[in-house]
Amino acid sequence: MKLAEVKAGREVKVVEIYGGFGIRRKLASVGIFPGAKVKVVKNPPGPVIVETSGTRFAIGMGMARKIEVELE
Amino acid sequence: MNKLKVVLVGNPNVGKTALLNALTGRKEKTGNWPGVTVQKRTGMFNFRGVDIEVIDLPGVYTLSCESIEEKVARDFLISGDYDVVVNIVDGESLEKSFYLTLELLEMGINPIVAVNKIDAVQNLKSYVKNLSKILGLKVVPVSAITREGLEELSENILKQALEKEVSYFQIRYPEEIENAISLLELKLQSSKPFLKELPKRWIAVKLLENDKEIENLTVKSFGEEFKELLEKILSDLKNKLKSEPGEVIIKTRFETAKQLTKGVFEESLSSVSRIEDCVDKFLTHPLTGIPAFALIMFFVFKLTFLVGDWLGGLVDDFFSRVLPDIVKHLHLPGFVESLVNDGILAGIGAVLTFLPLLATLYFLMAFLEDTGYMARASALWDNFVRIFGLNGASVIPLILGFGCNVPAVFSTRTIKSEKKRLITMMIIPWISCSARLPVYVLFTSAFFKEHQTAIVISLYFLGIFFALLFSLVLSKVFPGDEEFFIELPRYRLPSLRLVLNQTYIEVREFFVKAGTVILAVSVVIWILASLPPGVPYASESSVLGSIGKKLVAIFSPMGIEDWKPVVALITGAIAKEVVVGTLGTLYGNEESLAQELKSTFTPESAIAFMIFTLLYIPCIATIASIKQETGGWKYPLILIGVELVVAWLVAVGIYNLLV
Repeated sequence: MKLAEVKAGREVKVVEIYGGFGIRRKLASVGIFPGAKVKVVKNPPGPVIVETSGTRFAIGMGMARKIEVELE
Repeated sequence: MNKLKVVLVGNPNVGKTALLNALTGRKEKTGNWPGVTVQKRTGMFNFRGVDIEVIDLPGVYTLSCESIEEKVARDFLISGDYDVVVNIVDGESLEKSFYLTLELLEMGINPIVAVNKIDAVQNLKSYVKNLSKILGLKVVPVSAITREGLEELSENILKQALEKEVSYFQIRYPEEIENAISLLELKLQSSKPFLKELPKRWIAVKLLENDKEIENLTVKSFGEEFKELLEKILSDLKNKLKSEPGEVIIKTRFETAKQLTKGVFEESLSSVSRIEDCVDKFLTHPLTGIPAFALIMFFVFKLTFLVGDWLGGLVDDFFSRVLPDIVKHLHLPGFVESLVNDGILAGIGAVLTFLPLLATLYFLMAFLEDTGYMARASALWDNFVRIFGLNGASVIPLILGFGCNVPAVFSTRTIKSEKKRLITMMIIPWISCSARLPVYVLFTSAFFKEHQTAIVISLYFLGIFFALLFSLVLSKVFPGDEEFFIELPRYRLPSLRLVLNQTYIEVREFFVKAGTVILAVSVVIWILASLPPGVPYASESSVLGSIGKKLVAIFSPMGIEDWKPVVALITGAIAKEVVVGTLGTLYGNEESLAQELKSTFTPESAIAFMIFTLLYIPCIATIASIKQETGGWKYPLILIGVELVVAWLVAVGIYNLLV
């Protein structure tokens, strides 16, 4: 499933990020890469908020639809 | 040794600016990095007789050159124009911070690691000692808020400058990658000196990471054969790893950063409180977030213009009434009196009137930014304003623009993306500020008593329409639609001392930089309006009057055949409400102004004049602010050109539609 479809409060594992190298690099440097675990704090409408290693990030809908995840 | 240059490097939101402020206090200056609209902050302090200059690099997560901020930071680090690097890491999220630390180490830079926010995190101190051993670096726990550890940090800066401590820490990549690194290092060895200060290993790693800039530099130095070799190495590596080498490198680096924090914080940091979850949901969900945003903006707006108008009014009164009265009693020659009153005092008054407004706004903005709300507001709006090529963070500046364009321009500082910040600044002048309202009121009450409100509101919407249209065009000119992705910093109670300090520094910058431009233009307009000596101010026989008469031809297609409104538009450049004042002076007393206007304007040309006033050049204060913020005259001049042309076309177009 896509990150945009995950309910708030669930922990997920990132499976794949469909995007250019630039955005993959940016996400990876803060700990969001295939294999990493993140907690979904908030789901749409509005931005998706995820938490990884104690830091929160808001991710736009466009990007959240490009991140393939599986439930833990 | 009596002078040192220290550079601060760190992620966004780790408290770099706060630390700069804590170290250097009011001796802080802001400016731009050469050629870009990225803010540069520097400061100076003295420690044990040594003058230490501190340069704050833009906050970045990596040094990969994907964004302007990253490029600025990396170029500066490569330049070597500093003595000591201080890497500020966030005590509350170390893994993320250490990624950058590891990149610095790979670059051959041995930073002092300042672990910030020790006031907020328990058991950090014992960890710090351990970390220092693992990394082979000086590690100092500090707090920009309580000022704890600042002395120790300064001491370590001096020590590091005298005797460089060199780290022995190295990231171990998977074997396939290490082999490729060794191979590349070997190839790089046999070369002419190039990027000579940088470790070969770093260059090799960057080449494998697909770093285009380093690749271009290497290919330039080694020729096209090198490019072929690199491509072959990369494709072999990709086959062996079964994924992109660059991604494996980044992942390894992140895992290494994670290892560094092992066993210390796992429990205390893995879960952020439930309350924060709820607040975040509330503030970024459109249904609840938008009302909350409206409420917060209402208070910011109200407070800014309440304090600003009140204090600003007192200042204005002082410069336009009290001081000129005193000057009149001095019995100076008429020409000198007019220079002092209408030129200099009016100019200084124009600058100072803005100060209370700006100070209040800066204060509130710094306060909101420090609480962590700004990031949530951006997240809330991003999806919607993206349609117009804007960024979520553009919304607050645009709303402030309805009050006054000047603080709106300065508040774009909270926009992290350089391009989006530029676009937002360029469209702000078309947001109809409160100074334009008196012009609308004057004309609508003279010509459209019945439909006053409807016409004024239409004018506001016309401004918004053109602002968004311009934004769409600009986003095509400056492409680079990054996906929305920002960090949401922890909620915090702002430190009053830091917020006040910030306000003081920013107000001072405005006064020095924008103030001089505003004063200069006011004096120039005064000179044009008062020459040749002895003519009544801005009258037909003045230089300004004759300029106005020459320009009438340009305005006749919108039904304006008199030179007086033209002169009013020129003086209106000082501030748009001056249009009303000048019309009053030129048409005689202000009470019968409405009657006088009816003899010059038709309802259609009145509409055209209001539209022109809305859309033509921004006032000098706005122009000066945009110049200050973009670091040059290029963008303000482009803006003036575009606005004059569009204002004329729209005013003429609508006039001809109506008649």
